[in-house]
Amino acid sequence: MSIEISNLQFGYYEDGKDTIKGADAVFAREKVTVLTGRSGCGKSTLLYLAAGIYPANAGFLRGGSVLVEGDDPAKLTPPVRCRRAGMMFQNPDLQFCMDTVRNELIFVAENLALAPEEIPDQIEAALSFSEIGHLADRRLNTLSGGEKQKVMLACLSMMDPAWMLLDEAFANVDDSAARLIMDKLLQLHREKGTGLLVVDHRLEHWWDIADEICLMEDGQIVKSVCPREAGAKEALQAAGVQVGRDPYPGIAQIRAAADSDAAQTKDADGTVPALTLSHLSVSHEKGHPVLSDINATFYKGGIYAIVGQSGCGKSSLFGALSGLYKYEGSALLGGVETGTGSVEIRRMKKADFGRIGFVTQSPQDQFLGGTVRAEVMAAFKRDPDAEARSEEILRRIELWKYRDVSPYLLSQGQQRRLGVAALMAYPCEVLVCDEPTYAQDRENTIAIMETLCLGAAQRGATMLFSTHDRQLAEDYADKIFTLEGGMLRE
Amino acid sequence: MNNRHGLLQSINPSCKLIGLIVLSFALAFCHHPVLNLGIFAAAVLLILLSDANKKAFFIPMIPVLLLAVGLFFTGYRFTNAASDVVNMEVLHVGSSQIWNGLIFASRALVYAGIGLLFALTTDRIRMIRSFHKQLHIPQVFAYGLLAAWGLLPQMMLEYKRTRMAFRARGIRVLPFSPSLLVTLIVKSTRWSEELSIAMESKGFAADSQRTMFEPERVRTRDYVFLAVTCVILPVLAVVFFR
Repeated sequence: MSIEISNLQFGYYEDGKDTIKGADAVFAREKVTVLTGRSGCGKSTLLYLAAGIYPANAGFLRGGSVLVEGDDPAKLTPPVRCRRAGMMFQNPDLQFCMDTVRNELIFVAENLALAPEEIPDQIEAALSFSEIGHLADRRLNTLSGGEKQKVMLACLSMMDPAWMLLDEAFANVDDSAARLIMDKLLQLHREKGTGLLVVDHRLEHWWDIADEICLMEDGQIVKSVCPREAGAKEALQAAGVQVGRDPYPGIAQIRAAADSDAAQTKDADGTVPALTLSHLSVSHEKGHPVLSDINATFYKGGIYAIVGQSGCGKSSLFGALSGLYKYEGSALLGGVETGTGSVEIRRMKKADFGRIGFVTQSPQDQFLGGTVRAEVMAAFKRDPDAEARSEEILRRIELWKYRDVSPYLLSQGQQRRLGVAALMAYPCEVLVCDEPTYAQDRENTIAIMETLCLGAAQRGATMLFSTHDRQLAEDYADKIFTLEGGMLRE
Repeated sequence: MNNRHGLLQSINPSCKLIGLIVLSFALAFCHHPVLNLGIFAAAVLLILLSDANKKAFFIPMIPVLLLAVGLFFTGYRFTNAASDVVNMEVLHVGSSQIWNGLIFASRALVYAGIGLLFALTTDRIRMIRSFHKQLHIPQVFAYGLLAAWGLLPQMMLEYKRTRMAFRARGIRVLPFSPSLLVTLIVKSTRWSEELSIAMESKGFAADSQRTMFEPERVRTRDYVFLAVTCVILPVLAVVFFR
């Protein structure tokens, strides 16, 4: 049995270009198949079509067909369809509709019309399958990205679909959680013959597992290789796909570039502190501190990476620094002691706003203008040259032709470029970036890191970024901190 | 599954809602502070005996008490009997004036008490399940409500996040300014779409047959509750406190 796609044509807008342009493929259940390709190549769209989510929820099917186990998924009712193809989404925040893990599993069991007396056993089985028994009564909105995906895995294991479709499901998940989820999926694949169709632009997780890797380009499947065959790696690399953990260009050349065109003071070796954290703690639920005792000093001009397991509190730390969460202890901007020029972050006044800049995980979180241009203009409120300067920036990031479009309509990569550029238009001393390369392909990742690091180097700003990508941390940071057990270690 | 300690927590939410609404209506026709204060005291007692969050009770009670005091003096000052000109004589303590003040004040208290009693002793998931089962509201509406509720904390966070985004660019915005709310509306629309896709992909459909794990039932104690709130208390009120 299989998923059969024949001459599929699909577009999001009635009069716009097609996203899927006559794709043909047969995915067999016995094989683990990975769909890869650049951002915007149509791989996620293809998956949504196979799951029957499109065209019911968005877009227009202009020709061709998708058959999952012999039926068109769009014609099945949701309860039947979810037994054919279960989906794990990229954004774990918007997958749940109940409050606690247990209630969510009850919701799924009820949808499947299970007999009430078998529901408790099914829930226990699903919880232990995903190894999340200890999370059963936790509120979903307090879980980390990795924990949420494990809950999703529990839901899927209860649905027991013929196919499991993963849409960049590990984008916000650390390696150990990804490993666990992957092992469990393979277990289902071996024991129950569950088909696995995976969309991922990073192949490192899948290289040893996949039986087939399909490369998509511009709405078509252009290449299909078996990773165990000789020459497969080279064939993909030739097509511009990142196969393993290739090193990134790194920080050295960016610094060199910055030095040549801007003579900024720089002090990465540590004498002028830019941000000092002492005994910082954050708790979301009373009595359960996510961060218990954070002590660190970040020096002017340095670039620091923060890594750690999912659920270790990276987002909480960045949230505290950006004023999103309350914290105890102290986070002092611009010095070691309160006094001239230094200020406690939670007590910042209007004059200090803008001294610390943020790049959020999702670029959409930081948009505030109605159009792309307004987004950049926001920084030059009282500048008479605002028009000219915003034009210059937008031309540089190649978004000038979209100037009157809403930022929400841009592609992910474009949104990220815009967000970073808008922020860079503003002078800040410390730049705090929470997973700036979240869900970006290699090309975009390099471009983002370049913009951020260059911007920081040119103004001698300090930069902190968190990432799941160890390689990224090694290649771009002066110093790597690990967040573990509520503490920060070098 | 959920906590069912305390008398009021165990009452079926639909029955609780109907009972308390009928009782509120009945009280609207009685102007007797003793009755009002009695029911208020009962509501407070039931809340304090339940495992409801006590802080969530006392904090809203602060403005309610202020309102009650204000209403007391309104009633005290402007009794329907006194149409005299305003002079020192009016401030003379008269029992009918105090009585009138108490009627006003006790009303504020009793309605706040009943409202809080429902809000603090009802689990929202059980409430929605019960509305679906007993009051037959459509399941897509019921679960849509629950999902939307789940979005609230996310919206609060988003609101703060947007404010911080403005702040990081050196722009100060007032709370609830249109630019903040527009961003929030755009995002909520997108979230609700994604959420409905996620619910559908977990097998939820508006018209499909679902089973119910631990369905909310109407038991003897619920009938007793309805009898007390809809019949006994209103009758007593009319007979003794009219």
